[in-house]
Amino acid sequence: MKISLRWLRELCPVTLSDDEIAKRLTFAGLEIEARESRSIGAGVVAARVVTRTPIQGSDHLSVCQVDDGAGTHQIVCGAQNYAAGDVVPMARVGAKLPNGMEIRKAKLRGVESAGMLCSPRELGLSEDHAGLMMLPKDAKIGAPLDELLGLPDTIFEVNVTPNRPDALSHLGIARELSALTGVTVKTPQAQPAPDTKIPAHVHDEAPDRCPRYVARVIEDVKIGPSPLAVQERLRSCGVRPISNVVDATNLALLELGHPLHAFDLAKLAGQKIIVRRANEGEKLTTLDGKERALSADDLVIADPEKAVALAGVMGGQTSEVSEKTTRILLESAMFEASGIRRTARRHGLHTEASHRFERGMDEKTADLAANRCAELIVQLAGGRLLPGAIDRYPSPLPQARVWVRPSRVAAILGTEVTPKEVERILSALQLEPLDGNPERRLWGVPSWRRDLTREIDCVEEVARLRGYDTIPIEIHKAGVGETAGITPQERVKAAGRSALIAAGFDEVVNYSFIAEKDLAPFLASGMAPIRVANPLTVEQGVMRASLMPGLLRNLSHNLTRGVRDLRLYELGRIYLGIRDPSHPEGELAWPVFEPDYLGLAMTGQRAPKSWTGGGEPIDFYDLKGAAEDILAAMGVDDVRFAHTDAAPFHPASASELLVKGKRAGVLGQVHPLVAAQFDVPAETFLAEINWQSLVENATALRTFRGVPKFPAVARDLAFVVDASVPAEKLLNEISAVDSAKLIEQVTLFDVYRGAPVPEGRKSVAFGLALRAADRTLTDAEADSLCNAIRERLKSALGAEIRSG
Amino acid sequence: MIEKIDAELARATQALSGARSEREVEAVRVEFLGKSGSLSGLRKGMGAVPAADRPKIGKLVTDAIARVEGLIDEAKKAVARRELEKDLHREKLDVSLPGRTHKRGHRHPVSQAFDDIVEIFARLGFHLADGPEIEWDLYNFEKLGFPPDHPARDMQDTFFIEKASQPPPPPGSPPTKGAMEQLLLRTHTSPVQIRTMIGQPPPVRIIAPGKVYRSDSDITHTPMFHQVECLHVEKGLSMAHLRGTLDAFAKAFFGPTVQTRLRPSYFPFTEPSAEVDVSHTLCDGRGCKICKYSGWLEILGSGMVNPDVLANVGYDPEQITGYAFGVGIDRLAMLRHGIDDLRALFENDTRFLEQL
Repeated sequence: MKISLRWLRELCPVTLSDDEIAKRLTFAGLEIEARESRSIGAGVVAARVVTRTPIQGSDHLSVCQVDDGAGTHQIVCGAQNYAAGDVVPMARVGAKLPNGMEIRKAKLRGVESAGMLCSPRELGLSEDHAGLMMLPKDAKIGAPLDELLGLPDTIFEVNVTPNRPDALSHLGIARELSALTGVTVKTPQAQPAPDTKIPAHVHDEAPDRCPRYVARVIEDVKIGPSPLAVQERLRSCGVRPISNVVDATNLALLELGHPLHAFDLAKLAGQKIIVRRANEGEKLTTLDGKERALSADDLVIADPEKAVALAGVMGGQTSEVSEKTTRILLESAMFEASGIRRTARRHGLHTEASHRFERGMDEKTADLAANRCAELIVQLAGGRLLPGAIDRYPSPLPQARVWVRPSRVAAILGTEVTPKEVERILSALQLEPLDGNPERRLWGVPSWRRDLTREIDCVEEVARLRGYDTIPIEIHKAGVGETAGITPQERVKAAGRSALIAAGFDEVVNYSFIAEKDLAPFLASGMAPIRVANPLTVEQGVMRASLMPGLLRNLSHNLTRGVRDLRLYELGRIYLGIRDPSHPEGELAWPVFEPDYLGLAMTGQRAPKSWTGGGEPIDFYDLKGAAEDILAAMGVDDVRFAHTDAAPFHPASASELLVKGKRAGVLGQVHPLVAAQFDVPAETFLAEINWQSLVENATALRTFRGVPKFPAVARDLAFVVDASVPAEKLLNEISAVDSAKLIEQVTLFDVYRGAPVPEGRKSVAFGLALRAADRTLTDAEADSLCNAIRERLKSALGAEIRSG
Repeated sequence: MIEKIDAELARATQALSGARSEREVEAVRVEFLGKSGSLSGLRKGMGAVPAADRPKIGKLVTDAIARVEGLIDEAKKAVARRELEKDLHREKLDVSLPGRTHKRGHRHPVSQAFDDIVEIFARLGFHLADGPEIEWDLYNFEKLGFPPDHPARDMQDTFFIEKASQPPPPPGSPPTKGAMEQLLLRTHTSPVQIRTMIGQPPPVRIIAPGKVYRSDSDITHTPMFHQVECLHVEKGLSMAHLRGTLDAFAKAFFGPTVQTRLRPSYFPFTEPSAEVDVSHTLCDGRGCKICKYSGWLEILGSGMVNPDVLANVGYDPEQITGYAFGVGIDRLAMLRHGIDDLRALFENDTRFLEQL
């Protein structure tokens, strides 16, 4: 909210500087987010255009003789919206405009010009640059524009939190400043109405939604523009001046915080106001020119024939004050907060009125606001205020009362606070002591502070008025047995992440929502997409059920920027919904799972080409090796890989990752169609691993097994088998023979296809490290084991021993 | 005889000192110690020595042979050393050629900051806690003091999840109907406060890092970002403890000279509430463009846990108090690394990631 410091100082005449006021308010919880100085400067004055003559040869320039009170000046001007006799702002030679422009004598089209006639934008008043700013014909010629506009002024942008609707006005801020400084507030006063006689009727048919409705009538008003200073005051607070009557309602709003609405009484059928719920589908054209279909939950102001306003949100066009209006019905009502909020949201409206009502207004101010505004209307638009007022207020709100214990205040703030100090602060905020004693006192809360209902609310008041800087800094020492640390699980995760970094993977973090078309190839059958109901774009329309589409997008993003060798990982949640068969349209079933996953993506070269080699493209085994390294670093044992033809992968080169026999992930080369969809090379490799299952199966702390005491014996074996026999099978057969557990390590060091190995066969070579734990192994023992292996492979797999 | 021994010894020494190769040393060995070598000959000629002199002369010959053997050994080693030296100096490596490096990966700046924060709070005695990102309105809003149609909801523009069918009631007290039906993407990590407190009696001392979502996108807002929630609830806690924890955290994260200050603010689930500023370390609090010339940076929202929130989870607010705060991690990461556009964090351009 914008506030004018001039206005604020009128209501609370403090002698503090603007800076000091900003600081005090900010540290009391009303943060000054921005400030603006409004001043035009001494060199711009009201001046009368005496003559205007178009310049020959120019399509828009005129030369004018202008009287600025001190003399007549010749000025060349390009605007079109004025004529001789008009009064306009003139910047004298030597004046400096708010935008920094300095006015000098100049020659335009060879014609001397000594000064400049200005538009509102050139004076920094608004964005209006359609023509010269028009001043009233009776404005004093030669008077500085600042004087006519009530400038200079400083405007503060105040961040008013939702709990403080009382501060949404100049009076509200003035009250706060008063509580902080002790300077008394000059609350605006107005003559109360002596009776209830007005030539109009009010029926409140929805007192639950409209607890109070005050109406006054002003007759014989003359609609016209407001004085310049009023217009400037509204403009500086972000409100567009419209006409004197509407401006008066906005002035009262900005002053007291209470929204008001002026109806053209002549346009209300039967001079009747009915407050009621709208009929479902009822039509109303609001002041912004939009026809709206209303809901039965919307509250309207109506006459007996039609709705005339969306209550507390926006007026209707049919009853709008126009140039011809002479009789005004002024509404000052109180509307229930959540109803206003529902209506405002339903219709996508956010107005000065709805903003305040939905935060909860002070219903006790409604009559003062009506009276004050009625007087402002008479001041600005003439006319007669009829003495009577209608005030429908069937059940006045009782005063809120709160018990406050200074000892509790001290306990919450963690510092000493005396009963006297609590009393001083609460009194400064206009709470009144009603009952109790210094240790425990009952306080009556002023009607505008609807946020103060509990002791803790008053604790906060004391805290912020004392200043948060008075709270000491204290460390709470965790007791023995309470201290947490990094758990073994967290250490396992850290080891995995370190291994990823060591393996050359860059970490990415993607949005959790992706395009539904990106998810499609990765959504397993039986899974339902979890859609965002109100996404910002379709690219963020569905929660990711896989990390792989995001990683593919990252690869593509980097590839198009010329980065070719990429290794990326992401650690994050995926979101899995299960299709509910009882809902044929595929509604989401409960529950939704959010497991943590590790995603890997690789493309490009294994190592960059250099003088020592490199430059070879990566393949499946680079990805598999990386996965194995990471698993090893985390202490995940009992890992197997088995061929799979899962959806997003190339059917020939994809594998499941099994940990302790259970599926924990997939890895492989991306399917060529998926590669094309994401615009990445066919030689792109992806893995997705259930991170939680790795953490659960990790050996956080390993047990020492002793260093071998006896030497190992090395043997190499080579076999020729059918090309289709997987290496795993050979390894399994080898270990099946080793009943004495002499094989310490098997290294598969060669796989070869081609001559002289027959077509359809391959040669596989193993290096064995054999060792006995309790003795030095003899050559005879090693040879006998190798022979047994040869026999076994021959009989089980048809393996031939390779000569040589 | 003695003269002969001395003469042969002197000759052998002379010959070995001139030997420059293994072959020449070998020739010396053959000449003196070979089958027909001169010293070997002397040993064979011992029969001609008078019996009385034989022990003395015999020892002299043996000593001379041992001496020459030792000299030959030394000469061989010297030759080998010389050859090695010669070999070693034959060709020098070009040490300016690039080494065989291995590319390391890089942690994302957000996860680096996460790790640092978790470590700091672990030392302060906090446990890690967690909660779902697809959350109930009940936990994200209602139990935290945002009733339906409350204007404070405007502070957090919310993404909703398309309606789920027949959700079972979450644990805890009976919720209202509307809050049960509405699933959303959590707008803050604060629902973890509710979930944790519902599940255990006080004391509670947790941090909950995670992703949160708000429907907003510009240079300082992304629709997804990261927070760490901190909650400490037990008997006898005050705002002084809030300040103490914040100050300890800020000093551990930004450096020991950093200052903190609290400004009153409003959050429905804390009261009193405070925005927390830290002095800007990059400009030493003197004021610069990043801190808008104030010398201070707003880093988080905090406060004492609202007694209504404690009552909502079944704690007695007269007995138990607590403090809580939520830190935006992305902003902290930006401040630490001088990143000027928040959206860069989620573009995952490796040329960005590899700088951090």
